[in-house]
Amino acid sequence: MMGDHGNSEDEYVYVSDDDDDISGVDDCDDDYEADDYDDNRDEFQAVDVSIVTGPSSKVITKESLLAAQREDLVRIMDLLSVKEHHARALLIHYSWDVEKVLAVLVEHGNDELFAAAGVKVVEHDDGPSSLQFSSTVSCNICYDDVSATEVTTMDCSHCFCNDCWTNHFIVKINEGQSRSITCMAHKCGAICDEAKIRCLVGARDSDLAEKFDRFLLESYIEDNKRVKWCPSVPHCGNAIRIEVDELCEVECACGLQFCFGCSSEAHSPCSCLMWKLWSKKCQDESMTANWITVHTKPCPSCHKPVEKNGGCNLVRCICKRTFCWHCGGQTHDFYGCGRYKDKDVEMDTQSAKRDLERYMHYYNRYKAHTDSFKLERKMKKTMHNKINKLYESDTSSKDFSWITNGLNRLFRSRRILSYSYPFAFYMFGNQLFKEDRKKKKQRYEEEEEGEEGEKKKKRQKYEEEKKKNKQLEDDMKKERTIKQDLFEDQQQQFEANVEKLSMYLEEKFESYSEDKFKDWKMRTIALSVTTDNLGRNLYEFIETDLLGCFKDADHKIAPYKSKGVEKASEHHSSLGI
Amino acid sequence: MIDFSRVQKELQECSRDMEASGIKVTPVSDNLVNLSGTIPGPIGTPYEGGIFKIDITLPDGYPFEPPKMHFVTKVWHPNVSSQSGAICLDILKDQWSPALTLKTALLSVQALLSAPEPDDPQDAVVAQQYLRDYQTFLGTARYWTETFAKTSSLGVEEKVQKLVEMGFPEALVRSSLEAVGGDENLALEKLCSG
Repeated sequence: MMGDHGNSEDEYVYVSDDDDDISGVDDCDDDYEADDYDDNRDEFQAVDVSIVTGPSSKVITKESLLAAQREDLVRIMDLLSVKEHHARALLIHYSWDVEKVLAVLVEHGNDELFAAAGVKVVEHDDGPSSLQFSSTVSCNICYDDVSATEVTTMDCSHCFCNDCWTNHFIVKINEGQSRSITCMAHKCGAICDEAKIRCLVGARDSDLAEKFDRFLLESYIEDNKRVKWCPSVPHCGNAIRIEVDELCEVECACGLQFCFGCSSEAHSPCSCLMWKLWSKKCQDESMTANWITVHTKPCPSCHKPVEKNGGCNLVRCICKRTFCWHCGGQTHDFYGCGRYKDKDVEMDTQSAKRDLERYMHYYNRYKAHTDSFKLERKMKKTMHNKINKLYESDTSSKDFSWITNGLNRLFRSRRILSYSYPFAFYMFGNQLFKEDRKKKKQRYEEEEEGEEGEKKKKRQKYEEEKKKNKQLEDDMKKERTIKQDLFEDQQQQFEANVEKLSMYLEEKFESYSEDKFKDWKMRTIALSVTTDNLGRNLYEFIETDLLGCFKDADHKIAPYKSKGVEKASEHHSSLGI
Repeated sequence: MIDFSRVQKELQECSRDMEASGIKVTPVSDNLVNLSGTIPGPIGTPYEGGIFKIDITLPDGYPFEPPKMHFVTKVWHPNVSSQSGAICLDILKDQWSPALTLKTALLSVQALLSAPEPDDPQDAVVAQQYLRDYQTFLGTARYWTETFAKTSSLGVEEKVQKLVEMGFPEALVRSSLEAVGGDENLALEKLCSG
């Protein structure tokens, strides 16, 4: 069964269902086939996964931006039978959320929908002709009489001279308000016709007219919840549009993988908030600084931090200056400077040291896996060469996609592993979730309060409540410890498998005999499936048992993807533009 | 880029119906960038009887950008800073429309005096007083109007005499009065502060 790599089409359908439990060895092979995320996809893979699953994200390049925007515009234009500039005004007002526009339409009706967005739809189009009877018109802005051919009337039927309109538009564009330029009349909130703006501004300043067009175009990215600029530096010029869930990690056409939620590197199973805190923490090593401030004292003479390593409180710095450990002053009568404070300082010192140790524990493991990841990435090239060699050699099977797939699985498992440490740091620490734990406790208390009806003596009640409180706290602590144990069990198991997979892939398989090679193949494939399952289980545990308890907290994470971060597909317009 | 021909026309228009509106706009400098406006305190408010001076500066983009205005006369009002005279009024900011004029803007300021909006305050102290202790607010606003917004009926010589009697040297009194535009209260403040 293992060598059966035939009908990949069927296997695709099966694998596309991520939630499906893959348990048997037979299945694993199938799953392997479908694994696609890879730079060498042209060589090793025949069918695009998106055909089955439907693309969850698309790359919008400078070129396809216009078409992508047009799609939404056309939808609104068709549904509401309005002109393009009206559709654009509506969509800008409702942040390019077509569904939202339709919801407002159903709920409040046409008039309200248009009014909120400043859209005035004119049925009659005889504005200019009625003016042509009189040769001059008085403009209410500059108070000059101008020829009737030199004025422009907007949809709201307000008419001013072209010069004034142009000045108004230029001021608004320079103020960065291109997306919502309203009519000049007082309290008229009508959005001006973009074609008229373009024409008038273009006549005076073509660069500014171009800028105006760009602003309108980029509104599609900047005001749109479903679209984000790729955060690559230097910027690749692309944006990513997601089709389904806002909570995901995407890969841009430029190769950068990022979290769509916070635009930083892909960091699941850490939540965006956890990752933000963690990267900041690592950046300024605030813990170390904290430890130094508590654990050491600056020498009053040379100002270097000095750590006390003996019992005597008369400390001597390497600069030979002796000073009092209690008050930090270069004094001799230090016995008078408050022994009471000594206790406080010691407690602070201990807790700071404990915190630092905890941080270092998680940080070291996070760092180790990140470093391993970097080293393993280098394996990609050598692996490529090895596979090429196998191709040339005389073997029965010519399909080696499972090797690259195994390697890719190693990469993303390694990533998950490294990010699981900062996750644990926050999940089981005291910094985050404080409020949520309090809320949870309150819920428990409220539940119990209902059962308590009879009147008791005040004193007794107080004591009981105290006891109950302690009990509750103990219970919650216990629950937390159990969960932490469970998490760590899974994490360690996952880690052991990842290391084993890394070891297997580093073997010199290219020089193996045919039997040994087959054995190696079996082992690798089986292990990689196990790793996948463990990774999925870890995510499931995190999502339901750990984060699931805190409904209020904003700690959702991108779901586990067996195939890794999905590459955003090219955007092809359905309109054929 | 200021549309000076429009400003000229606005000034003409304003002086034409000054009698009816009570609103006056006069240029301070020759270049029509700095102007000075006065509005009478609305009747039936603690500002009644006062004449409030407002400093107007026209930005480059006028009338496509709003004019900058602030009270020169001290006013006790939730939407006017009691310190700087800054005005919190939407049409002087994002709700400005080129179709508005200096006169209509000043009319809006006048309307603001009769209808304060303490929920969107410029001066938090005044707004709090307005909401919590309306009577005291009325008293203070009235007192400020009496003290700062009413031109004394006294002539210049009488003012000088009055201040000299208080014990200030005459030369200093004259220069101080000149510096503050003849307002004896402001002159006294200036003299006291040295």
